[in-house]
Amino acid sequence: MLSAILRRGRNQSTDTPDDSYYTAGQLALIKTRFLTKTSGLIAGTLLASLILMGFFSPFFSPVNPTINGADPDYRRGAPQWLHFADENGFSMRPFVYSYRKDKPKLDLRAMLKNGGGLAALDKLTASGALSSSAQNRFIEDRNQRRYLQFFVQGWAYPLLQIDSLGIDLRWDRHLFGVEQGQVHLMGTDEDGKDVFSRTLQAVWVTVSIAIVALTVKLFTSLLVGGVSGYFGGKIDTILMSITEAVRVIPPIPIYLACAVALSQADLSPVQRYFSIAVVIGALDFTALARRLRTHILVERKQEYVLAAQLSGSSHMRVIWQHLVPSFTSYIIVDTLINFPYVILAETSLSFLGLGLTEPVNSLGVLLQKAQDPDIQQNMIWQFFPVLVFVVLIMAFVFVGDALRDAADPYSERNK
Amino acid sequence: MTDFLAETWLLWLLLSTGVALYWAARSRVWFRYVYRRYLMALVTLLTVSAIVFSLMEVLPGDCAEKYIAYKNTQGMVITQADIDAERSRMGLDKSLPERWGRWVTNLTLKGDLGFSCAKRQSVNLALGDRFWLSFGFCLAGLLFAYLIAVPFGILSAWTLNKPWRDHNPQHSAARRRLNTLGLSLAKISDLLLRVISYLGLALPNFLLALSIILLYVFAGEATPTGLYSEAWKNEPWFAASGFQWGKLDDFIGHIWLPVFVIGWAATALQLQTVRALVVDEANKLYVDAARARGVDGFRLWARYPVRHAISPLFNSVGFDFQRVFNDLPIVAVVIGLTDAAALLIEALAMTNDQELAAAILFLVALVVIIMNFITDIVLAAVDPRVRSSVMGSGGH
Repeated sequence: MLSAILRRGRNQSTDTPDDSYYTAGQLALIKTRFLTKTSGLIAGTLLASLILMGFFSPFFSPVNPTINGADPDYRRGAPQWLHFADENGFSMRPFVYSYRKDKPKLDLRAMLKNGGGLAALDKLTASGALSSSAQNRFIEDRNQRRYLQFFVQGWAYPLLQIDSLGIDLRWDRHLFGVEQGQVHLMGTDEDGKDVFSRTLQAVWVTVSIAIVALTVKLFTSLLVGGVSGYFGGKIDTILMSITEAVRVIPPIPIYLACAVALSQADLSPVQRYFSIAVVIGALDFTALARRLRTHILVERKQEYVLAAQLSGSSHMRVIWQHLVPSFTSYIIVDTLINFPYVILAETSLSFLGLGLTEPVNSLGVLLQKAQDPDIQQNMIWQFFPVLVFVVLIMAFVFVGDALRDAADPYSERNK
Repeated sequence: MTDFLAETWLLWLLLSTGVALYWAARSRVWFRYVYRRYLMALVTLLTVSAIVFSLMEVLPGDCAEKYIAYKNTQGMVITQADIDAERSRMGLDKSLPERWGRWVTNLTLKGDLGFSCAKRQSVNLALGDRFWLSFGFCLAGLLFAYLIAVPFGILSAWTLNKPWRDHNPQHSAARRRLNTLGLSLAKISDLLLRVISYLGLALPNFLLALSIILLYVFAGEATPTGLYSEAWKNEPWFAASGFQWGKLDDFIGHIWLPVFVIGWAATALQLQTVRALVVDEANKLYVDAARARGVDGFRLWARYPVRHAISPLFNSVGFDFQRVFNDLPIVAVVIGLTDAAALLIEALAMTNDQELAAAILFLVALVVIIMNFITDIVLAAVDPRVRSSVMGSGGH
């Protein structure tokens, strides 16, 4: 994609399209037009790298993001910055400092001497000396460097795991890490789990929820819109009046109700994850279904549909093989544009504690922490997932915008 | 007689509107459309009530259990038989369609929205004017969004596919420089505004509200959470000295936060919509024709593409309202509001109060349907394109 941006600068004069332009399919045209949008390309590159990093998160993250990788010696630890130089000299290889825990000096004896009692204890508590952030102070040891290594050995993770086939490929290399101890680029949370690694893992969980939800949405919309548009008549009237009714009800309260019902059922984290995705996807069919119906209502009168019917195609075959493909590019663009909204729905649910919950790790789960006053005041680095989330959504929106422009068949004319 | 009327007033209102419209529809085409649209709205409302009412069944527990559980805390010993007796007293042992039928009948007869078990009072009382408060928030948020999105969406559409520099050889060098400056300014402001408004979309509402509250905390000032500050909370609006302007001032000092938060997120979406609509229209042939006749610049844009892009925008007000209300509950939780949206979250997630939740959702849907109805009939009266498309079959 970067090369496409660079190429743009050079050949702007070659604007006369040749034959391939006029014979190109809809998707090829969209792709060509998309490659001319700078903001869309930049956002697309960013998005692709984020999602790739999320997908291969075990490789890119230096620390195991689950509780197994939690660092009990570095709870509530601040981010360790990468350094290249300090007063002890310059190093081409980036390094972090090692740290030691600052033992808080609690003089309980002095408290007793001053009379002791509950009042003194209250005073001690009020002074903040007993709070967890006062108990977990770390001091950098600037004389002990930990050099960053690349392709280090770490915890083993499954590279490819298909249980039914008995395939279980494992690997234990990670892009970077340190030899002794662990490196926490974005600090740790209250259990010592690495924020950076958890964020990477959460990106993919969130995106995959969106993918499942959008697939479900695609199927429900195709079913409702396809059946309604193809058969018309009474079926159309009934389906469309239901769609119209679903359309006017605000969706998040409905998701909430379903999530509350799901939380009563005894589900494993994975089942819960899928049911949330299915709920979000299944209720979101209205807009696409209506669009599809209008399209099919027009198309079904065309001669190629009649030809297919006369050749003995079944209804399903006509809808799936002949009518829907004429609409593919619109469906793809619409699906991509809807990504941020689905992700936002998942996040809102998790934020209220009704979506995914702790052992499963999604951006919504991480964002939920932003509510905690303790984190707001003492562990500001736990806002890193917020930053990643904002970048992710912005990238999706800009790519969606560029795609919408690219999919517009008229956009070429006014150049 | 008055009792009978008081019990059934809503039904008469609905019926008489229908009859009046039917009578008017015999002679005027527009009224025929309004009448059809009115019937459709009623049907949609009925479907909505069925969907909402049956969806709320998924919430765990029912009224009898909750009521008995409450009694249980008072030290009474409760048996299953007690629960069953309570259930049949409340009519909860009937089937779902029967209970829905009763709910709808009460609603259409006298506007009774049912009974809230968690609050143990009728939903109408429990809601009070809180629904109007939420309604006001949403309208204010929408207004905010439109005020920003419409002008800048048009600007954004105008700058699309425009070059950064003016290369027109017919223009003098000075004119070209001036145009280049103007184009660059427009492009930059378009990009900036898109980034800012998309930030409103990308920062989920609750985070936005949280960050604003955090800013206040860091600045060491009182946070504008809730509806009033402590000092004005219990003051009446009208004291002996007349209208309390201080309370109004305090109220506005608090409600800007939810309005701003939900408005910002709505702006991004509106901006995208306006931009897409205007781009669509600007590429049509009638704009080229107008340009060929020598209409140019501001006059061309205002009279041709923009004017036509406004009516679909106006048509979507109802759904925009729904979208804004959709965001309100979570914002209400974060800011600590006490409006209908907060009540909805409470009813759904905490007290599992089926009828209250169903009633609030139904009211929101009602507002959306009414707005859609109004925008549809207004457009049919004003916009000749809509008129010919919706009434074409009506025999003109």
